[in-house]
Amino acid sequence: MLNPTAGPSGAPVPTSARLSLTWIVVLLAMVLLVAWAGQWSARRESAFQADALRRSIDVYALGLRGEAAKFVYLPFTVAQHPDVIAALASPGDTAMRQRANRYLEDVNRRAGSDALYVLDTRGNTLIASNWNQPLTFVGQNYGNRPYFIDAVSGGSGHFYGIGRTTGEPGLFLSAPLRSGTSIVGVVAVKVSLLEIQQTWGKVRDPVMLADARGIFFLGSVPSWMYQSTRAVDATERARIAQHATYGPRDNFPVLPWDVERTEAEPGYLLATKVDGIARRFMALDESLPNLGWTLTVMADYGPVTAARNRTWTVGALIAGLLLLGTMYWRLRERRYAEQRVARQELELRVEDRTRELGQAHSFRKAMEDSLLVGMRARDLKGKILYVNPAFCEMTGYRADELVGKSPPYIYWHPDDLKKHRRESDAVLAGNAAPTGFESRLRHRDGHDVYTMVYTAPLIDHNGEHSGWMSSVVDISEQKMAELRQRKDSEKLQHMQRLASLGELAATLAHELGQPLMALNNFAGAAKANASQGRLALLAGNLDDVAAQAKRAGDIVRSTQVWARPHLRGAESCDLNDIVTSVLAMVGAEIRHHQVRVSTRLDLAQPCVSGVRILLEQVLVNLVLNSLQAMQVVAVELRELEISTDRQDDTVRISVADRGPGVASDVMARVFDPYFTTKPEGTGLGLNICRRIVVENHQGALEFENRPDGGAVFVLVLKSAQ
Amino acid sequence: MNLSNLIVYVVDDDAAMRESTASLLASRGYQVQLFDSGETFLAQADIRRCGVVILDRHMGPAALTGDQVFDKLKRQASPLVVLFLSGHGNIAVAVDVTKRGAFNWLEKTLTGADQLLEATAAALVQAASIGDMQQARQKAAKLWDTLTPREMEVAREMRHGTRTKLIARKLVCGARAVETHRLRIRDKLNVGNPAELDRFMRDNDL
Repeated sequence: MLNPTAGPSGAPVPTSARLSLTWIVVLLAMVLLVAWAGQWSARRESAFQADALRRSIDVYALGLRGEAAKFVYLPFTVAQHPDVIAALASPGDTAMRQRANRYLEDVNRRAGSDALYVLDTRGNTLIASNWNQPLTFVGQNYGNRPYFIDAVSGGSGHFYGIGRTTGEPGLFLSAPLRSGTSIVGVVAVKVSLLEIQQTWGKVRDPVMLADARGIFFLGSVPSWMYQSTRAVDATERARIAQHATYGPRDNFPVLPWDVERTEAEPGYLLATKVDGIARRFMALDESLPNLGWTLTVMADYGPVTAARNRTWTVGALIAGLLLLGTMYWRLRERRYAEQRVARQELELRVEDRTRELGQAHSFRKAMEDSLLVGMRARDLKGKILYVNPAFCEMTGYRADELVGKSPPYIYWHPDDLKKHRRESDAVLAGNAAPTGFESRLRHRDGHDVYTMVYTAPLIDHNGEHSGWMSSVVDISEQKMAELRQRKDSEKLQHMQRLASLGELAATLAHELGQPLMALNNFAGAAKANASQGRLALLAGNLDDVAAQAKRAGDIVRSTQVWARPHLRGAESCDLNDIVTSVLAMVGAEIRHHQVRVSTRLDLAQPCVSGVRILLEQVLVNLVLNSLQAMQVVAVELRELEISTDRQDDTVRISVADRGPGVASDVMARVFDPYFTTKPEGTGLGLNICRRIVVENHQGALEFENRPDGGAVFVLVLKSAQ
Repeated sequence: MNLSNLIVYVVDDDAAMRESTASLLASRGYQVQLFDSGETFLAQADIRRCGVVILDRHMGPAALTGDQVFDKLKRQASPLVVLFLSGHGNIAVAVDVTKRGAFNWLEKTLTGADQLLEATAAALVQAASIGDMQQARQKAAKLWDTLTPREMEVAREMRHGTRTKLIARKLVCGARAVETHRLRIRDKLNVGNPAELDRFMRDNDL
């Protein structure tokens, strides 16, 4: 697995920091996207609105123009009428005027205009359609009105203002009335725009009409009327007052609009309060050049904001959902990844475990196959669960012939069936000796197999005792060797005896040499004395000869024990006798080693039943060992103490010397065969002694170091009494 | 030298051996002295005199062995001729003791009375010749002592055949003086030429 905290460059990047950075970037991107989407949707909505505004402004403008254009020819037409001209030409002719009045009344009614009237060149109204109404224009002077001024000077006039007589606003259109080439009067028509205003009022969004100075004079929002979009200076105010455009009003406050324009867009945004409620509008101006007005159409900006908010909400929702989805997805991915990793780890573990098991199995198999020790596992009832190749080899049966069998097993020795059954029961009862027991098996081909069986409880993986595991060691070789050795033992003892004899022979020769040479010398002297007739000396010489011959005879007699040809059976032996005869045998050797001997013999004549020559052999060996041990100490210290005594029903011979004693590191091996501390020793002496004592006489051969120096070997034998 | 003047010493811890040897030798007319140990022998016998020692090699515990006694005699340059007696032995022991200057080595079990007598007689002859040589040496030493120190110096040079001139240069003196010394040496020691002088000095360990 890669380590996520360490990149390839080796610079560790904290996971959480990197992750949160990513998250921040993603969140930021999302916020920006949502914001942009909101803005886009708002722009789109506002574009829609702008389109709608443009369309509606066209309609409104068309309506306005139409209203104006409908009546623009009326003054010209009326100015052509003969009755009107006649009435103007002769102002005193009442009938004429009356005819004209009726004519104007009729036209006015048919045209649907507000009022139709004729002025003289001074501005006095001579004829009017409303001649018979209370608020008639007749007799009124409108000489200050711009439409009059324009018309009397030869042009056509149009003017919007509040009627001086009626106080109602209206559009005034005028045309000069010519008589020949000279202008003799002015025909004017007043058109009310209130119908249009009413139509506008039905529309939800404001529609306003401003004059060239920016003062709203018509519109669907009453509170904005006669207020200005920009400041109206004093000159203009004076002109308005002069023309009495808006009646007596001379103050046109600037509207409290918060206007926001963008270069690219034809429209603009404005924020204001309508009836005390804060509102935002998108507004579009359309100037009407013929009339000198500006038409302002507005649309509520709410839908745009709403669209933006909606988009934002929807975007935020989508983003949130996306986020949640991503988080969920990530979580799921992480869980999947974890599961995948866990699965892979599991697989790896399984693989490892399988391999380990395989290895362990092959290792175990190799181990079991290479074992020379037979292994046999049995359940609690004695059924064989397992045997290894060594065990099969040992018994000659295949594993499948043994596994599943219960006692008595086929390899049990037929002569030892009872013993096998007893031991098997003991093992299954958990009473097996921890040191193992010896067991004789019968190989398939019939030969005997001697084994040592060691048993341990078989504990399964749950810690429960499920059976018994025995290791079976083939000790046939040792057993055979033991038997052979036992057979060889006597031969060996004999050889040892011969060896001891050889050792003694040299000393014996030396010892015999003395009397023999003395004998020779005396004989020589006797011969000389005889020939010279010195009889007294001759007799002395002969006595000496006899004495030396006896001495030589004594020495020879002491060696007769060695000449005994065969071992006799057990007889009653007096240990004191044995000590005495052994001392006689090794006397020469003792002298040769310059050792003093002291004996302390039990007066009660300790007797044992034994083979005398073997006991003598043991004692000779012990004495010779002691003599040799004392060679390394000063002559005056060399002392051999031999004692016999009795303890309860045992009798003992102790051989104590003043040698260096037995070194502690060889104590355990003193009786081992072939173990020796002497340069020319065979290592068999003490081994044979012990076997003579233990095996032939059921006694014991012990030793210890004496506290004041030297060693003591004690021969312990059962008393014959 | 007269053999009858020589004494045969018998050193043995075994009384029978001692007595029988003494009887045998006495019956042949030899002068015999007996000692039961090496210690008493070394203490009481005159080991400066010529003679024969029949020495037992093994003499009981805590006593000097024959070998030790023999070594002591050698160290004191005793002229005694040593005849070893041994209970048993082998060629190696025999070669060893003979090399170290023992005259002979006899094994008790293999030695008869005649052999002992023969060996003793031969040893006595040897002892007598040693005695003669001892006397000759004593005489030569007396002659030598008559030389002046300067003559001894000249004689030591002369025996190698060194010419007079060289001797004079070595001893820093005149050739004539050396010539005179040479004449006096010849007269006093009774030697004719440097070769004779050399033999005289070698024979007498001078």
